[in-house]
Amino acid sequence: MNDQGPITATEPALMSLAGVAKAIADKRISSREATQSCLNRIKQWEPGLNAFMAIEADDALKAADAADAMLAAGKTLGPLHGVPLAHKDMYYEAGKVVTCGSIIRRDWVATTTSTALQRLKDAGTIRTGSLHMAEFAYGPTGHNAHYGAVHNPWGFDHITGGSSSGSGAAVAARLTFAALGSDTGGSIRMPAHFCGVTGLKTTVGRVSRAGAMPLSQSLDTVGPLARTAEDCALLLSLMAGADADDPTAIDGEVPDYMAALNAPMTGLTIGVPKAFYVDDLDPDVARVLEETVAVLKQEGARIVAVDLPDQRQLTAACQLVLAVEAAAFHKAWMIERPQDYSAQVLMRLQNGLAIPAISYLETMRWRGSALAAHLAATAGVDAVIAPVAPVPAPTIADSDVGNKPGAEAVIQNLTRFTRPINYLGLPSLAIPAGFARNGLPIGLQLVGRPFDEATLLRIGAGFQRATDFHTKVPELQ
Amino acid sequence: MANVAGVPVTDDVAARIANSIGPAFDGFAPLAGTLPFDLEPATFVAVQLGKDGK
Repeated sequence: MNDQGPITATEPALMSLAGVAKAIADKRISSREATQSCLNRIKQWEPGLNAFMAIEADDALKAADAADAMLAAGKTLGPLHGVPLAHKDMYYEAGKVVTCGSIIRRDWVATTTSTALQRLKDAGTIRTGSLHMAEFAYGPTGHNAHYGAVHNPWGFDHITGGSSSGSGAAVAARLTFAALGSDTGGSIRMPAHFCGVTGLKTTVGRVSRAGAMPLSQSLDTVGPLARTAEDCALLLSLMAGADADDPTAIDGEVPDYMAALNAPMTGLTIGVPKAFYVDDLDPDVARVLEETVAVLKQEGARIVAVDLPDQRQLTAACQLVLAVEAAAFHKAWMIERPQDYSAQVLMRLQNGLAIPAISYLETMRWRGSALAAHLAATAGVDAVIAPVAPVPAPTIADSDVGNKPGAEAVIQNLTRFTRPINYLGLPSLAIPAGFARNGLPIGLQLVGRPFDEATLLRIGAGFQRATDFHTKVPELQ
Repeated sequence: MANVAGVPVTDDVAARIANSIGPAFDGFAPLAGTLPFDLEPATFVAVQLGKDGK
């Protein structure tokens, strides 16, 4: 691995999002230089990674030149003026093909632009292409039977995690400064963990989902994958808030996520679960958790043990809700075009057909009580720290479960620490926290209270001031 | 059950569905049928936005 070097004009792609935005604004580098740097790395890495669905180099350079011309004329669109980005290929952009990682939408052209994407465009970002993802975002590994697996930049034989597979790989390899992902059962945190980047799953209701491909209306969340907590704070500041096109996006004041980043951890209380999240861990994951808790304590946080309610029931509830809602979205295509789904995704969708309405409604009725119980169990705790997954990235071969009878058990093991958080609708920040003995990254998640992303970002930023895991860059194999 | 939902599946698929989703039913079983009469889904948002959520 390489340490992320000093910010230089020779390889601007290595800069953070906040760093490159400031460098462009200060005219220390141009948007074209930043964009060309990303395109150069895409050219080098993409044959091995398979992280992009589409690369739009010419259009990106034209947009960069336009951004530079505007800046030269003394005008700026916003805090991310001229910053090139690519996002998970499920965010609708008017006039662009949005595949959702599927055959069914292979040629589908969006007629509207998603609110999250539009807000980033309004802030000045330009587009370099679209990023690979699991078919219809329904898979946690990064496999895609139609377009091939995305490969982990830290080891091409290993999975990236999914469903935001391209987002994790592209951010880790420094092909894009940041990327939108989505998290319904772990789809931002898993790639963040497996690829060694920072990923923020937002509270249900924090960011509008209008124009983002739906998977589960109760569980879907929009969020960024980036190199630092600061970058996630910057993106969230731009995306969060009410939206007339999505009434589930909560009205009210959006906190200043950037303002709290430099505050110390003194006065914060971080909970370590006594069970479930510490059970049956890979030894490297257990070690990284222990070392991270020590750093947080050293930085001034108060560490307490927390006794959480039964997480297996939350996992089960999440699985039932997700299965039913996904099947409902896909029912027409399941009847008309079953042959156009991969066997694995069709299998998962079919699971939802077998769940009675009464069971689904019971899981939805219980959700408030379950959240109340969690909040009571964590009263006085600002964040709970836990692994994202019990293991570092498995190999692609070992996790290519197809439609085998045991497939769901393999998936369940990978997502057992993420799904309870989705059911509770809580925010969770995944941060790079160490490496396994085989060189693969390990991430941990900080789970917060509803709508308190600011505290998670504050802890993440403090941890990243004390450590350098987030600055490590994989070398091209 | 899948046929009732309007999407025909083979017996093999029905058996696989039962194997896949069975553990979720088992996991939720202790709660099924135990919820208070007045509990309804909007409680979730109320708890999210309530003082205990802060």
